Amino acid sequence: MTRLVRWTIVAVAAAALVTFPYWSAAWESSRFATTLLRDALILAIFALSLDLLVGRAGMPSLGHAAFFGAGAYAAGIAGQRLATDQLPVTLGAAALVAAVLAFVIGILVVRSEGIFFLMLTLALAQIVFAIAFQWTAVTGGSNGLAGVGRPMLGALDLSSPDLTYVLVAVTFVLAALVVWGLARSPFGRALIGVRENERRMRALGYDTARLRLSAFVLAGTMAGIAGALSAYSTRFVSAQDAGLGNSVRAFVTVLVGGAGTLGGPIAGSAVVSLIERVVPSLLPPELRLSEAILGVVFIAFVLFARQGMVGLGRYAWLRVRSR
Amino acid sequence: MSFELVFQQALNGLSFGALLFILASGLSLVFGMMDVVNLAHGAFYMLGAYVALSVVQLTGSFWIAIVLAPLALGLLGLAIEPVLLRRLRGRHLDQVLLTIGLSLVIVDVIGQLWGREVRSLAAPPGLDGSVTLIGGVYPVYRLFVIAFGAALAIVMSVVYRRTKIGRLIRAGVEDAQMLGALGVDTNRLFASTFATGAALAGLAGVIAAPVFGVQPGMDTDPGLLYSLVVVVVGGLGTLSGAVAGSLLIGPADTFGKVLFQDVALAVIFAIVALVLLLKPTGLLGRIRIAR
Amino acid sequence: MGGFAKNELAAKRGYTYRLTRRQLLVASSAAALAACAPAAVTPGASPSASPGKAFKLGQLLPFTGVYAELGNSMRRATELYLNQHDRKLANRPVTLVYADDANVTATGVQATQKFIDQDQVDVMMGVVPTPLAYGIRNAVHAAKLIFIDTNAGGNALTRDTTNCTPSCKSPYIFRASFSSYQISYPIGDYLSAKGTKEFFLAYANYGFGTESAADFTTGLKKNGGSTTGNVAPPLGNPDFAPFVTQIKNQPTKNVYSFFSGADAIGFIKSWNSLGLPAAGYKMYGAGFLTEQDVLKEVKELANGAITSLFWAVELDNPENKKFVADFQKQYPLLPDVFTVQLEGEVAALDEALKTLGGDTSDKDRFVKALEDVSFKSPRGDFTFDKATHNPIQDIYIREVKTQNGQTVNTISDKIAKVTDPGK
Repeated sequence: MTRLVRWTIVAVAAAALVTFPYWSAAWESSRFATTLLRDALILAIFALSLDLLVGRAGMPSLGHAAFFGAGAYAAGIAGQRLATDQLPVTLGAAALVAAVLAFVIGILVVRSEGIFFLMLTLALAQIVFAIAFQWTAVTGGSNGLAGVGRPMLGALDLSSPDLTYVLVAVTFVLAALVVWGLARSPFGRALIGVRENERRMRALGYDTARLRLSAFVLAGTMAGIAGALSAYSTRFVSAQDAGLGNSVRAFVTVLVGGAGTLGGPIAGSAVVSLIERVVPSLLPPELRLSEAILGVVFIAFVLFARQGMVGLGRYAWLRVRSR
Repeated sequence: MSFELVFQQALNGLSFGALLFILASGLSLVFGMMDVVNLAHGAFYMLGAYVALSVVQLTGSFWIAIVLAPLALGLLGLAIEPVLLRRLRGRHLDQVLLTIGLSLVIVDVIGQLWGREVRSLAAPPGLDGSVTLIGGVYPVYRLFVIAFGAALAIVMSVVYRRTKIGRLIRAGVEDAQMLGALGVDTNRLFASTFATGAALAGLAGVIAAPVFGVQPGMDTDPGLLYSLVVVVVGGLGTLSGAVAGSLLIGPADTFGKVLFQDVALAVIFAIVALVLLLKPTGLLGRIRIAR
Repeated sequence: MGGFAKNELAAKRGYTYRLTRRQLLVASSAAALAACAPAAVTPGASPSASPGKAFKLGQLLPFTGVYAELGNSMRRATELYLNQHDRKLANRPVTLVYADDANVTATGVQATQKFIDQDQVDVMMGVVPTPLAYGIRNAVHAAKLIFIDTNAGGNALTRDTTNCTPSCKSPYIFRASFSSYQISYPIGDYLSAKGTKEFFLAYANYGFGTESAADFTTGLKKNGGSTTGNVAPPLGNPDFAPFVTQIKNQPTKNVYSFFSGADAIGFIKSWNSLGLPAAGYKMYGAGFLTEQDVLKEVKELANGAITSLFWAVELDNPENKKFVADFQKQYPLLPDVFTVQLEGEVAALDEALKTLGGDTSDKDRFVKALEDVSFKSPRGDFTFDKATHNPIQDIYIREVKTQNGQTVNTISDKIAKVTDPGK
């Protein structure tokens, strides 16, 4: 298939995604599917950012929610303290705060590897969580930050469910494009090189620490933007947004979908959202086993479909094509 | 702080550290031998505590529970290793991921079988009193825990250094492939190691229950979180690392929480971050050559 | 086909060089599936307002996570009440929709949105943790959905606050449980008025704990009392010995504590094993410190603790006796405070619906009907404060005693008709 055809399909799909609330209104009169898709897309952006680290750079981080939370809080607090709801300000604040935090944490963690990197990111993120949980004056403490302002673009109020969705969907498309472009760029390939064989990359003259730090800051910034979107959607920031549970959730999403691919985090967020939101309503109330189901799905993927859903999809496609 | 206060808090820190050692020993063993960070370790610890609850309910004896719970967990470990982990031999990251899935399943099943209320286990009669020490009255059970932890460390050390199985384990830690090439049945060795790690987690569940309680969420806090912290800080995979880690984290957590109340939540992680930044492989860890 | 081979190789290594059609198809079909699934699974419902039509009641409770047992308790209360009333409230047959928040605020917020958008419930009930109640306050207010809080005690939910921070009241939000003020201030006032003026504080270091400690202190100060210091363990702390040791090494013998659940059990066990009762220390607290879930585990270790709450199993009034008996007949368990909270809520709703004749089409009339309810419940007379929608209830001073082999809270005194100040 030619590039033109491929890009046209992508453009059409993106347009369909962004305008979902409008063309779905016919058969989906409640806004439920819209909000479900909106939350799945926010998770997808978060997972895409984590995949930059886990999948492409080979840096397994269990503390990524720190940046998600930082972005969410920054968007909310900036709006309240600066008495403005303008999107460029609050979203900008979110990206800036997340980037700075990622830089600070990144400098500390970038020289670790494997399990030590995992534990260090976990520990530092837990410190961020503790600050969010205890610093009641600034973050609202354990009660959370209420009254996050509505996202406004000039005079346009984006707080209606449909427009919030559009904001999230547009950001998602942009994020996916960024990640896609990154993968093909020299930077992206250098990251993969660092993942595969760091010694050789250094021998080739690459500053691997700087590469990893750049990836870390980029991933953190993107996670912060996802956090801000979450704050706009629920108009509330909870300390748990920066917590270990949120980090693990993103990690599971990346792995189930397929690490190191563009479609992986996206497919993963669809699956995880499905299991979390839809499955519980299918089970009788006595049987609250959604965690166990997630666990079994996870085990099955690790044993039989290591490349995640994307790998499965690829495998199925190959089988179909080779007939 | 008066001397009596410091003494009592030091005892608190030491007994807490002893519990942490018992908890972390299994995780350290499995990592040292198989290069697998068993993230289901907390779930095993939790299962051990709940099994102990049932055993005590049925038999009325804490001591029977100390035997049966680790046994049950050991059998579970013996079943899990060949069925699930062996397929992923050599794929260390995947084994870790599998243990994540395992813990999700085990914890949910515990909730279904035993319910989700908060439970507790009393110290056994004989150990449930208090003795007068410097600074006042101190619970006998916590002194028992210190003794038990020390005894466990000594037993493990003796097994490790003086017995044949210990030699095999040490060899496996150094180079499992070579061990296989030398004709040792590595399948059985790995299965038994994993089973022992699970049994130790179960043992910790029983011993720690009178102090830490038995409730939903215990698999992560204190279970997995503290085990990971101790093992990573002390130095992965070695017995001395687990001992060093618990002797540091126990008192540091105790004193830290009391002295720095407002950041108590962050104290232990600050310690972890500090240690890892200063010595990235942990206090007594060695740099391992990547396989 | 170079592109194909390259992607084959890439597939083996787990990454790709460019977005392929397959990935796009997989990803978008997964996303589409996710979007379609909820519509396929739960049919949308139209709101029902006329008498005789089904009344949709949404309950957001924790069925998994650390508060799971509270959720189960509350569900038992709902089922008991509905079974006793032919699965009807007034003349409307009830359709129950349960959702699990799993003690994750984001999950609870999403579930609330589902109640509003998809299930279109007539009334929403539930919510155990205060952060979740604060998190959904705006959504519920904007949707004009009547929400009756079953547990979350954060003061702000039924008060006027500046900038609605951390939250504020709404005409559509009622509370059938308590405000943390109600279980903390009165006992501070009561004890200091009786002459016990100096206290040391021990509380879990999170919103509920700090609020309770602060309100208790305000109560003390009203009669010239004061606090001499505090220990504040983190929520979910595993080892209480260090904190209890600190208490033992300071001179103030009267200790006011706020802990609940596993924390309360750990605290009380440490309190005893470190010899505090023998050393003359006395334990006081907000009611949750010694509620059923705690007492059944610590038993006589809690003897002598004095706490305040709006209910106790032993409360001697005909409604409570009947409630306890009925509950034990249906379940082999004693009811706890959480079941009482939910029972009060459903009963209030029932009363309001009876007044309306089952007609809930006028939201303002519905709100007024709820405001006007007044009936006798297991905890005594039940009404909502019209200004705040918080319950006006009697607060009992209770003492833990072991009698007939059971450890229970016995009532030693009563502070009548406590309201929340509302600001």
